[in-house]
Amino acid sequence: MSVRSCVPSLADSATNTLPSGLGLYIHVPFCLQKCLYCSFYSVTNQPDLYNRYAAAVKEQILRFAERSDIQAQQVHTIFFGGGTPSILGSDLLTRLLKNCFLNFDCAPGLETSLEVNPATVDQAALHELRRAGFNRISIGVQSFDDRELEVLGRVHSAADGIRTVQMARRAGFSNINLDLMYGLPDQDKHKWQESLQQALSLQPEHLSLYELTMEGNTPFAQRYDRGELRLPEEEVVLAMVATTEEMVTAAGLHRYEISNYARPDRKCSHNINYWHNASWLGLGPGAVSSLNGCKIKTISDVECFCQPGANKEERETLDNEAAFRETVVMGLRMIGGIGLEELEKRFAINAISYYGTTLDRLIAHNLVTIEEGRLRLTGQGLLLANTVMAELV
Amino acid sequence: MKNIRNFSVVAHIDHGKSTLSDRMIQLCGLVADRDFQDQLLDSMDIERERGITIKSQTVCLPYTAQDGQEYELNLVDTPGHVDFSYEVSRALSSCEGALLLVDAAQGIEAQTLANLYLAMENDLEIVPVINKIDLPAAEPEQVALEIEEDLGLDSEITQQCSAKTGEGVADILEAIVEYLPPPEGDPDLPLEALIFDANYDPYRGTVISVRIMNGTIKPGEQIIFMHNKVEYRVEEVGQFLLPKTKKKSLSAGQIGYIIAGVKTVSDTKPGDTITHKENPCATPLPGFKEVQQVVFSSIYPITSDDYEDLTSALEKLKLNDASLTYQKDSSAALGFGFRCGFLGLLHLEVVQERLEREFDISLILTVPSVKYLVSLQDGKEVVVDNPTYFPDPGTIDYIKEPFIKATILIPERYMGAVMSLCMERRGENTHYHYPMPGRIEFTCELPLAEVIYDFYDKLKSVTQGYGSFDYALIDYRQSDLVKLDILVNSEPVDALSQLTHRQRARERGMKACESLKEEIPRQMFKIDIQAASGGSIFSRTNISALRKDVTAKCYGGDISRKRKLLEKQKAGKKRMKTVGNVEIPQQAFLSVLKSDQ
Repeated sequence: MSVRSCVPSLADSATNTLPSGLGLYIHVPFCLQKCLYCSFYSVTNQPDLYNRYAAAVKEQILRFAERSDIQAQQVHTIFFGGGTPSILGSDLLTRLLKNCFLNFDCAPGLETSLEVNPATVDQAALHELRRAGFNRISIGVQSFDDRELEVLGRVHSAADGIRTVQMARRAGFSNINLDLMYGLPDQDKHKWQESLQQALSLQPEHLSLYELTMEGNTPFAQRYDRGELRLPEEEVVLAMVATTEEMVTAAGLHRYEISNYARPDRKCSHNINYWHNASWLGLGPGAVSSLNGCKIKTISDVECFCQPGANKEERETLDNEAAFRETVVMGLRMIGGIGLEELEKRFAINAISYYGTTLDRLIAHNLVTIEEGRLRLTGQGLLLANTVMAELV
Repeated sequence: MKNIRNFSVVAHIDHGKSTLSDRMIQLCGLVADRDFQDQLLDSMDIERERGITIKSQTVCLPYTAQDGQEYELNLVDTPGHVDFSYEVSRALSSCEGALLLVDAAQGIEAQTLANLYLAMENDLEIVPVINKIDLPAAEPEQVALEIEEDLGLDSEITQQCSAKTGEGVADILEAIVEYLPPPEGDPDLPLEALIFDANYDPYRGTVISVRIMNGTIKPGEQIIFMHNKVEYRVEEVGQFLLPKTKKKSLSAGQIGYIIAGVKTVSDTKPGDTITHKENPCATPLPGFKEVQQVVFSSIYPITSDDYEDLTSALEKLKLNDASLTYQKDSSAALGFGFRCGFLGLLHLEVVQERLEREFDISLILTVPSVKYLVSLQDGKEVVVDNPTYFPDPGTIDYIKEPFIKATILIPERYMGAVMSLCMERRGENTHYHYPMPGRIEFTCELPLAEVIYDFYDKLKSVTQGYGSFDYALIDYRQSDLVKLDILVNSEPVDALSQLTHRQRARERGMKACESLKEEIPRQMFKIDIQAASGGSIFSRTNISALRKDVTAKCYGGDISRKRKLLEKQKAGKKRMKTVGNVEIPQQAFLSVLKSDQ
C-alpha cells in the first residue's frame, strides 16, 4: 500500500487555517448477520479473518504514523465503527486501541468511541473495554420493539438493548449513545414514541435518530420496490419528527445535527469533525481518509485489504471551489450551521457573493438564514435539507 | 455500363436491412474485419441505438462475380421510416433493382408492402430476400409462399439468408448480378443527374449524391440545378467507396457524388436535376416535389443563456438536414426560441436528440401541432401551426385540418382493437381487405393531429407488436376545433396550449392535467393545474407541496457519495424550466399530448 502525501495546491493552502487535530476512524467490516436495510460494507461469518484484519490495520497505522505531516498533528478523537466492532472481542479491540495510542500523538482525555451491538458484548468485555481506554459507547439498538427488530433483520431483542445499556453503565461508561430508527414499516407515531420513551428512560447522553432510508441493492429496497413493505405516510413521518423534537428536548438533550441529539457537553466531537469537512484518518476496508483536501478511500474488500502490498486505494481531490461547496453542504447538516468568516478564511471564497441570488432565494423561501455570521438551515430547511443542498453543492 | 448494378434494399423496419448491408460490405472486402462495427452505414449514435436509418448513405461495392467479371454494385441505402417516404422514393428512382427484405419470422408487414409499391412505381426489378432464417421462429417456406402468392413475385429467384451469421449473403450478391438489369443511358447525351441525397462535410461543403441518367460530368464544368435555378462549378466527382474516392468523371448509369462548393444542404433538393450550363437537357427528370413539413413545435433552451448556442446549433444541423425548417419564435412562458417544422414525429425526436447530444443543449419542445387553415369571417385565410397564434374564436368562420390516409396491416384477430383505436382518433371512411389469408389491410382516413403523437405506439400496443403502419397526407377537411389552455398556479402557460377537436377537449384537458401531475415533481409549495378552454375551466388537479427531503446519515465515509447524489439532483433541476415560480421538467411539455398510459 502506498500512502503518498497529497501535495496541497496553492488554493488548498487556505485549509491551513483550520484548527489542527485529526480524527481517527477504524472501520471494522464484520457482522454476525447483515441487517436487511444496511448498505454499508461488511462481511459475515469470517472470524478466521479477524487476526489478519487486525494485522493489516496495524500495518496501516504504522504507515500513517511514519508521515511527518501526520506526526505534526494531534489525534483528537478515535472512533471504532462498523460493521459491528464489538464482534472482534475485547482483546483484539484493546490491542488495536493500544496501537493507536502508541503510534499517534493522542490528545489527553480524547474522545474514544466504540460501536457495539446488543448481544455481542457481555459485562466482562465492557469492563475490559472501558479499562482499555474507550470512554464513549454507541449502541446500535435501532428499536425497542421486538417485531420491528425482526423486520429490520436485527439479531437481538429489545430486552438485549436495555441490558446492554445497563451493563455499559455498570462498566463505567458515562457517555452513551443509542442509535434508533423511525419511519419503519408499519410503525405509527405511537409506536415510535414508545421506543423513544424507552430510550430516554435509560438516560443516554447522546441519541442518533435516523429515518429509515431505502438504499439501493439492499433486500429492504428490493422488497419495497416489489410493494411488500408498507412505509408510514409522509404525514406520519412528519408527526414523528415533531414529537421527537419535543420529547428529546424535554429530556434535556439538544439537537445539534440533522439526526443527532446530545447533552450540551456530550456532542460527538469525532462526527463534528466530519461535518466540518476537516482532516481525519480512516483505517480498515472501505474507510475514507481526508487529508489536505484529498479524500483517500481504502478498498472495500476485506480479503484484498488483508493482503500485504496490494494497491488498496482510490483518491479524489476536489478543486478549491468544489471543496468549498462540499464543506458548505456538510456544515449545513449541523443545527448551528457554518461560520461564514471561518469559511472565507479557509477557502478564500465569500459565500454570500459566491452564491448570490441562489442564496437570496433560499433565504426568501425561509429555508436558510444568516444570523450572527452563521449560515444555517431553518426548521423548514432541515426538513428539505437535500433540496437546499442541491442548490448549494 | 453492363457491369454496373444500382440497387436498394427495401424492408419493413427491423427486418435487418442495415445488417445485410454491413454483411455485403464486408464480403466485398470494403472494410477490414477489424475496423468493422455494426450498422456501418448508420453513422449517427441515434441510428445505432434505435436500429433505424435516418440519414441514408450510399456505398459502392466492387465485386468479382463467379463469371470472373468485375462489377460495380451501388447500394443505395434508404431511410426506414414513414416520415421519410419521399426521400425513399427519390433513392429508389436512381436504381434499376431492389432487394425486398422480409423477416422469416415476421413475414410481410405494412412497410414491406408500402416500400414494394414504391419500388414498383419506379419500375424496379425485385429480388425477394428472406432474412433471419437462423431464428428459431423462422418460417422461410411460409414466407416464401406469401411472397409468391400474395405479392406475386417470382419465387424462383427468392433468396434466403441470415444477415446476422452471413449465411446466404454470397448468393445474394450473385443474384444481384444475375437478376437485376444493368442501367441504361447514353454518356454522350446532355447531362441529366438526379439528386437523391446530400450530406454536409465541414471541409468541402455539400456532398451531393447523384445518379447519372444521361451524359457525363467532370470537374471544372459549370452546372445548374434545374428546380433551384442556381449555378455552380464542379470541384470533384467520385464514387462511394469506403472512404469516398475521387474519379475523373461520372457518366450515364453510374452513382456517385459531386462536390461543387454548395454551402448548405438545403440548396440541394432531393429529386432535383443537375445538368450542364452549356448544352443542358430539355426538361428536368420527373417526380420532383418540395418536401413538406407536417409537424411543428417550438424549441426553447432551458436556460436563456443557451439561446446563442441553440441558434448556431440549428444552423449547423440545418446544413445537414434539408427537411428541417425553423424561424424565430417567442413565448410568454419560455422566452426566446424557434418554431421548427418537421417531416413527422420521429424526425422531431431525432432533431431533439441531436441537438442535445451533439450540441449539449438542454431543450424544451412544446406540444407538437399540425398546420391548420383558418378562414376568417372577413374572407381571409390564415395558416396556424402554433396554438399561440390561434385567432379569436369570434372572428373565425371555419377551420380545416390535414387528413391522412393510414394503411395498417394486421393479423385478422386485431381488427376490432384497431378499428376502435381509429374511431377513438376520429377516423373516417374505413376500408379493409385481405391481401393474404389471415391478414387484413385496413385503411382509414384520420386527422393528422390525432396521429402525430402516440398513434404508432398505441397501435403497436393494441396489436401486441403485430400491427404495422404507413401513411400519406391526403387533404384538408373542415373541423370544429378549440384551443385548450393549461394554467399552472392560475397562469396560462402558452407552451402547453394545444388545438383540439371540441368534442375531445374535455377528455384531453383531463388527461393533460393528469400527465402534468405525474411529470412535475413536488415543489416547496402546492401547485394548481387547470385545463381551460374559452375562459371556462373544466378540469383541475394539484400537486401537494414537498414537505420532506433529507438524508438521515452522513459521516466521513459517505461525504463523496452524498455530494455526488446532490450534484445529480442539481443537474436534474437544471433540466427543468422555471415558469412563473414552478419548475417544469422537459418531458412534461410533450406529456400533455399522451393519451391514457
